Amino acid sequence: MDALTLELLNGLSTFATLGVVALGLGIVFGLMGIINLAHGEFVMIGAYVSYVVHANGFSHWLSVPLAAVVLFVLGGAIELTLIRRIHRQPEVTILATFGLSVCLRQVAELVFTKDFRGVPNPVPGATRAFGVLFPTYRYVLIGIAVAVVVATLLAFTKSRFGLTVRAIVADRDLAEASGIRTGIANLCAFGIGAATAGIAGALVAPLGAIEPQAGLAYLPGAFLVVIVGGFNKLWGVVVGALIVAGVQTGVIHFYDAVWAQIASLGLAVAVLQFRRVSVEGASA
Amino acid sequence: MRLEAHELRSGHGGVPVLHGVSFCVGGGEIVALVGRNGAGKTTLVKTVVGLLRATGGQLLLDGEQITRHPPSRRIRAGLRAAFQERPLFSQLSVADNLRLSGHPVPEHVLAVFGDSLAGRSAQRAGTLSGGEQKMLAAASALASTASILLMDEPTEGLQPSNVEVLGDRLDAARNSGRGILLVEQHLALATRLADRFIVLSKGEIVDSGSAGERDLADRLSRHLAI
Repeated sequence: MDALTLELLNGLSTFATLGVVALGLGIVFGLMGIINLAHGEFVMIGAYVSYVVHANGFSHWLSVPLAAVVLFVLGGAIELTLIRRIHRQPEVTILATFGLSVCLRQVAELVFTKDFRGVPNPVPGATRAFGVLFPTYRYVLIGIAVAVVVATLLAFTKSRFGLTVRAIVADRDLAEASGIRTGIANLCAFGIGAATAGIAGALVAPLGAIEPQAGLAYLPGAFLVVIVGGFNKLWGVVVGALIVAGVQTGVIHFYDAVWAQIASLGLAVAVLQFRRVSVEGASA
Repeated sequence: MRLEAHELRSGHGGVPVLHGVSFCVGGGEIVALVGRNGAGKTTLVKTVVGLLRATGGQLLLDGEQITRHPPSRRIRAGLRAAFQERPLFSQLSVADNLRLSGHPVPEHVLAVFGDSLAGRSAQRAGTLSGGEQKMLAAASALASTASILLMDEPTEGLQPSNVEVLGDRLDAARNSGRGILLVEQHLALATRLADRFIVLSKGEIVDSGSAGERDLADRLSRHLAI
């Protein structure tokens, strides 16, 4: 029973991490249709913000909002100078954001070297709950991640800004003819997507090594979540994260991490195949 | 407010459609733009709103150059369009469509056509009939504070009683000092409402006239090959 509870808590922790990492991609890729291969690097930069904050003697908790601000500005600048010129050409966007990811990794290497960095766990120790001991920081991470995801979902579904973004996604020309400043709305949406990735990076920083290649590990998982959760609906990120985290935790419990990755990829392929059949069936 | 186009040129994907079109729409008048399918009427409306880039000529709004302004700036300056195709965000609710167009109280707009659209706020716009979508787009434009309205075939798909209501609302808008460019194939409504006519053919203005001209109806019928 305790083993099952522990696996459930592990699954919840994976769900929270995946959800907050994939949230930004859900906005940028799922809603706006921009394939951003540099999303993992945004997470990596968020982790480095956490490292810099720690190295300068400040509290880890300061790094979470600071990473959001830094990544919002960086994301906005990238949208302004790069994405808005090419976003209607998916193949160009893939190449450009791939190049951007390489550049961001190289810049991180120039500034911080290839050395592994780390930040100490701000909430060390474990808490006994539901009959098992579980790292306290992971409880905190789950709480913050859920709060960030819920706040972002509300911002995109209940606010005027969210309505504006959905209108642009639905019909850009009509949005412009309705007086919507599509350029500013796109910049803000891309910036928010980057900011949530920054928050994710700052949150996961105490859990592992911080190095220039760290973002690469997060990109496939984030795409899996968005693909499984579905496009055009931001809450699909929550569903996708739940399903992917459930599959990964379950397979790791019975087999190992390699089979968990294989199962996740198989799930994404099956979902894409099912969607293709559904779309073809609907249009037949 | 006055909208002026001087030698306006535009097209789709490098293919020229408008070949130097000049016209003006002043406050308190309805100018009917007529022409056969493919004449370039919708291209003209999209170019004036800014969805298509003018490749030549000038657009002035109250004497101010707006030729290079983005659509949002033109809308804020006082233009508003109701489009022939895809007039609404089909995935959004009726209320959200109206909020996006600057109407915080959707019921006020829905009341423009009496009971025809009453109680539809929560309905997804894509589930309205084609005629209802056109009515809603027209109502949204009429309920706005824009000084110049561009109405692209607003009667298409409307039942006769609603065509009459729309005519009355356009007449009232004109009488309140607004200028209207009415793209219309429904000649009965156009001749009832318009102060002036412009005939567009293959991207050029081939005829124009005022409502009082005696042979106008014959000329319009000839141009439209009715």
